Amino acid sequence: MISHPVPAAATYVLVWAALIGLLLVTLGSAYVPLGWLNSAINLAIAVLKALLVAFFFMHLRSAHYMLRIAAAAGFFWLAILIGLSLTDFMVRY
Amino acid sequence: MSVIVARQFDDAEQQRNASDLGMWVFLATEILFFGGLFAAYVATRLHDPQAFAMASRLTNITLGSINTGVLLTSSLTMALAVRATKLGSRRAATAFLSTTAVLGVAFLAIKFTEYALDYRGHLVPVLDFAHSGPHAGGIENFFYLYFLMTGLHSLHMIIGIVVVAVLVGMNRRGDFMPEYFTPVELGGLYWHLVDIVWIFLYPLLYLVSRA
Amino acid sequence: MSAVPMPSSRNYLDDGFSLWSWLSSVDHKRIAILYAISITLFFFAGGAAATLIRMELVTPAGDLVSAETYNKLFTMHGVIMVWFFLIPSIPSTLGNFLVPLMIGARDLAFPRLNLASWYLYIAGGLFTIGALVAGGVDTGWTFYTPFSTMFSNTHVIAAVCGVFVVGFSTILTGLNFIVTIHRMRAPGMTWFRLPLFIWAMYATSIIFVLATPVLAMTLFLVAIERFAGVGIFDPALGGDPLLFQHLFWFYSHPAVYVMILPAMGVASEIITCYARKDIFAYRSMAYAVLAIAIIGFLVWGHHMFVSGQSIYAGMVFSILTFLVAIPSAIKVFNWTATLYKGSIRFDAPMLYLLGFVGLFTIGGMTGLFLASLALDVHLHDTYFVIAHFHYIMVGGSVMAFLGAVHFWWPKITGRMYSDRWARFAAIIVFVGFNLTFFPQFLLGYLGMPRRYHEYPPEFQVLNVLSSAGASVLAAGYLLPLFYLFWSLRYGARAGPNPWHATGLEWQTTSPPPVDNFAAIPVVTAPPYQYSAQEER
Repeated sequence: MISHPVPAAATYVLVWAALIGLLLVTLGSAYVPLGWLNSAINLAIAVLKALLVAFFFMHLRSAHYMLRIAAAAGFFWLAILIGLSLTDFMVRY
Repeated sequence: MSVIVARQFDDAEQQRNASDLGMWVFLATEILFFGGLFAAYVATRLHDPQAFAMASRLTNITLGSINTGVLLTSSLTMALAVRATKLGSRRAATAFLSTTAVLGVAFLAIKFTEYALDYRGHLVPVLDFAHSGPHAGGIENFFYLYFLMTGLHSLHMIIGIVVVAVLVGMNRRGDFMPEYFTPVELGGLYWHLVDIVWIFLYPLLYLVSRA
Repeated sequence: MSAVPMPSSRNYLDDGFSLWSWLSSVDHKRIAILYAISITLFFFAGGAAATLIRMELVTPAGDLVSAETYNKLFTMHGVIMVWFFLIPSIPSTLGNFLVPLMIGARDLAFPRLNLASWYLYIAGGLFTIGALVAGGVDTGWTFYTPFSTMFSNTHVIAAVCGVFVVGFSTILTGLNFIVTIHRMRAPGMTWFRLPLFIWAMYATSIIFVLATPVLAMTLFLVAIERFAGVGIFDPALGGDPLLFQHLFWFYSHPAVYVMILPAMGVASEIITCYARKDIFAYRSMAYAVLAIAIIGFLVWGHHMFVSGQSIYAGMVFSILTFLVAIPSAIKVFNWTATLYKGSIRFDAPMLYLLGFVGLFTIGGMTGLFLASLALDVHLHDTYFVIAHFHYIMVGGSVMAFLGAVHFWWPKITGRMYSDRWARFAAIIVFVGFNLTFFPQFLLGYLGMPRRYHEYPPEFQVLNVLSSAGASVLAAGYLLPLFYLFWSLRYGARAGPNPWHATGLEWQTTSPPPVDNFAAIPVVTAPPYQYSAQEER
């Protein structure tokens, strides 16, 4: 692993601003009656915020590929747990 | 002061690479640990979506949203603290680390205020949950999961604040330098993961049915 | 491969003789021994429960113990054997000892975490023993709700605490192995020059870190639900008992692959050595263990075919279960192909592993019966299931574990054991095992349910055969205690490579020095170069 250039402080602040912006969007859109879209939008925004934190604050953007695989594996395996269980829950409930 | 390399490693670079990978593997385990609760949430919400909608409206959106802002800001200060350590700016690092800890404490203070308000609203299962109606069971399940998930998250926050406080002490002692800042990096990774957990908790608990 | 062993350097057994030097050691070899002693004690505790079970089942009437006591016996047998013996057996003993040696490292990446994992194992064990001493648990090792959360009057919370704690022990071990294998291989030790035992440890570790946290959370939820009387597993409160089963089996199915993958790794090491041949199709063997680990995460619902889960889910899980058999079958074909035209020696480790291949195949194939939805309706919760998993876990994993203990005994202890006694014990184990468990396939097919302390008289003959087999099996398991311990005192001193095996662990002294190698080796060839050896 090579040493990486240190990101500028401004980058972090910009990411923070984006995160706060997304927070306001998710909060605001929750009050607009959109049916099932509300949950979809909220989830999508949460994923986007998580990716921003992971790639910029947690330095995954410049990290060794193995670290990205470890991060992805955690979420992917959780998706397996929830996804395959849904074959049961969505049918029975 | 030069970097101390543990006996089993060939050099400092191998040691740092091992620590980074080890930390990310640990974070993956944390994702799956919390993940069990998220899976339980999905199943229970599918079981009675109306109950979850009603219950979510009983959460304190103001405090929850402010807390989300507080936590996101603490992630900024944590990232800036790691950056300052990498650049050898000891005083800036101490300032940013301390701010992170303070924001963490603020988060917990707001959270426990929220818990107190929830208790007064008779929303705490086991203690004195008092809601009736056809969806009472589902509403109680929602709050059961709410207290478990936010409680486990708060426990992780407490651990994180302790870790950051220890890092402040180590930094002031001069333990970190541009060649060696692994504890700060790893502490930062932990802090950001706890933030990511909250990023998902917030919409699932507070925003289910606000329209 | 080049390394010069220096007989005068202090070996790890001589590095301190006090109890504290052992209990505080971060040397992976010493920690492996600590684990070995601990799991052996738990093995005999779980075996004692099994003995009582088989004694009860000699007669159709429930006359030895009460029904409640019988429930506690099979629960403790399962809990102890699964979590305190089988899951840690190969990884925490042989894995801990061999992983650094096989890859040419001085220790694991995180030696202190390694020691912490053993203390967590002991702490979990104490909780579980506490539950046992306080009166036992009767829910079965599967802790199904709502019985475990609402109706059982036994020490469920203590037992799940024990399993919760020991789970973290395995998470730390898995984390350590993953980082070590990725970052600490010797120069020249590329991924495809790794021994297949290392590939197996790697695949096992992936399961450790990704599955165990879900178990921890699930057991935590059981404890809270039992304690609080509120919950998401309770249908009366809008919960779902099947939610527990999905969460539980998401871990517990991959857990059974944790139990077999290390044994498969051992098989590749021992079969190649005693056939004096390179493994057949090395890369497919490596990919197969990864495939088993990954696909193994997708099949958990096959434990729930008759639980009330949707038939759609049942079909999905059934198909996926058939898929996971494929990489396992590939491995069996490849071990067989490795034997073909080999110069086979029937030393004790080879006897154990030949037994492993055959018995694992039977166990695996009967798994396909159970994976078929319609057949499972008849076979679920019968002795067929019990025979199936014992063929894999005992006929498979335990025999591979014993073979591995014998194979690496000279390396670990520096002593040679009596091969005649060892071969005798291996044959006793093989005979005893089949006599115990083959009748159980018949019993299950004929309809005898599991977890019952009494049964209709027409099942008695098969049960008596099974119990007789169990006594033979017990003798087979006790024998090694005698000749192995005898060898510690009186056995001939072992050289670095008594079996003329390939592998970096055989390039250093027996027992190895504290830092494993006098000089870190440089690897220039793939593993299992036996044919090249024979030509010399």
